[in-house]
Amino acid sequence: MKLHRINAQLLKFWYITINRVDRIFDIVYWPLIDLFVWGFASFYIRQLSEVNLLSMFLGGMILWIFVWRAGQDIAVYILEDFWSKNLYHLYTTPIRLSEHMTAVIVMGLIRSMATFLVMIALAWLMYAFNLFEIPVLMLASAIFLLSLFSWSIGLLVTALIMRFGQRIQVLAWSIVWAIQPFSCVFYPLAALPGWAQAIAAWMPTTAVFENVRAIIFGTPMNYALLGRAVIMDLALLVVMAFLLKASFNHAKRSGLLARGD
Amino acid sequence: MYPIEVAELVKSFRQKRKRKVIVDDVSFKVKKNEIFGLLGPNGAGKTTIINILAGLLTEDSGEIRILGHRPEENWEHVRNRMNVSTAYFPLSDVLTVEQNLKVYARLFGIKNVKEKIDELLSIFELSSVRKQRVLKLSSGERTRVTLCKGLINDPEVLLLDECTVGLDPDIAEKTRNIIKQYHKHHDCSMLFTSHYMYEVEELCNRIAFLNKGKIVKIDTAENLKRLIKNQTVEIAVKEKSRELKEFLKTEGLDVLLARQNTIIFEVTSEDEKLYKTMNKIFAKGFRLTDLHIQKPTLNDIFIKFAREGKDEAP
Repeated sequence: MKLHRINAQLLKFWYITINRVDRIFDIVYWPLIDLFVWGFASFYIRQLSEVNLLSMFLGGMILWIFVWRAGQDIAVYILEDFWSKNLYHLYTTPIRLSEHMTAVIVMGLIRSMATFLVMIALAWLMYAFNLFEIPVLMLASAIFLLSLFSWSIGLLVTALIMRFGQRIQVLAWSIVWAIQPFSCVFYPLAALPGWAQAIAAWMPTTAVFENVRAIIFGTPMNYALLGRAVIMDLALLVVMAFLLKASFNHAKRSGLLARGD
Repeated sequence: MYPIEVAELVKSFRQKRKRKVIVDDVSFKVKKNEIFGLLGPNGAGKTTIINILAGLLTEDSGEIRILGHRPEENWEHVRNRMNVSTAYFPLSDVLTVEQNLKVYARLFGIKNVKEKIDELLSIFELSSVRKQRVLKLSSGERTRVTLCKGLINDPEVLLLDECTVGLDPDIAEKTRNIIKQYHKHHDCSMLFTSHYMYEVEELCNRIAFLNKGKIVKIDTAENLKRLIKNQTVEIAVKEKSRELKEFLKTEGLDVLLARQNTIIFEVTSEDEKLYKTMNKIFAKGFRLTDLHIQKPTLNDIFIKFAREGKDEAP
């Protein structure tokens, strides 16, 4: 991998971001809407309950940004190259798939961090909610695990786009939301029906949100679940990387890369 | 060493549950500093060959070597020294001309990025639009921006796929001149495809004719034109046109049209046949008022090969 080629891609993504108002706008728009809806709802429910629901909902929502933003951005920046038929020119340069994906992941991470920081500031200003009540080590671990998971999702969507073309681009926006119900972002694992628990227990995201809730409510942390999350995250990332490579090779065989559609 | 070597290349695609062979056992070599043309009707396999060489498509079988290397084994070395340009895929329309070129300059690891971009924009008369988004450019400007990208790394191998499509005649001529100048001052081998025969004839040292995925013939434009033996002669006489028609028939010539005072006939280009025929016509006392000789063009060759489907082996 060569840094100058990753930088070149990052420069392109930066140009796309500054040239398109919607790409700046969407850093905060949807998270802000969520912040209002969940924040106001939590405020109301808190009056009815002793439990710290505000911290639970807002903490979950702000951390979910990493899964949503980073995963979606990977797919959207790849789609951007499809929309502008730019893969043709890109892959006639010395760039490698790994360099392209590294640049996309870094850009997704930068945008996630931007959204994350804005949300933390707004949550503090609007609801006096301080995310840093969660110990820094746990917060960093949560961000790390959620980012790894989001990259896997991003790689999966990219692999599907490389395999089937732009016609499945709706997945770029929807796949993260299909995962959310099984991630226990806003409710404990125990609240799910049996069959759903069986799925959710294997999701790295569940481990993160279960433990964040444990800290907020002062209950013991589940380290076994966290350990399993690390293994699952890494395994998923490896599997998705192989899947993407296979899809990329297929795109070169089928002509999709040359046609860019 | 040949800058481009293609040996027994085969590529097929699945179409409606069947495999359709698009490139069928194609072999050719492009010499150092040569502009090599690929000609053929739509679907002949020209773009597929370019895409395989560009690294966008994988071949079913066969071997390609660029600058003496198999690209997949020496990816970076090969890709840094070659480039591609096509009118069909403009650069990113969200970015400005300058932003696009900066990105590609970095991808190729160019050191003096600003100077290189200034030079290319000046050559292609695009300096005035450097800050404009590609989206807002005319199709001719977009094509030239793509050509700028094609030359940004001073390639030793340049693949030009229909790179002048959509350009007005003035800009197209300027573009051809730029290609010629670049070719003259750099050690660059080019693979060139176009549907404009005059362009291919003007630029290419040798031409490969493709039809249905196979190479029908490889030769210079001059030699290819000699494959059509007959030239068409149109003469107008003041009088005795019927007698002239009969005379031409007795000479064994094929009269294509005889109308009023105009007669069109075919005569072979070999053995000074035209010269001898014209001498005989004058000797017989026919007085010509007009004469037009239509020599075979590359266009005729294109049509001949395209319709015949195949001809002699290369």
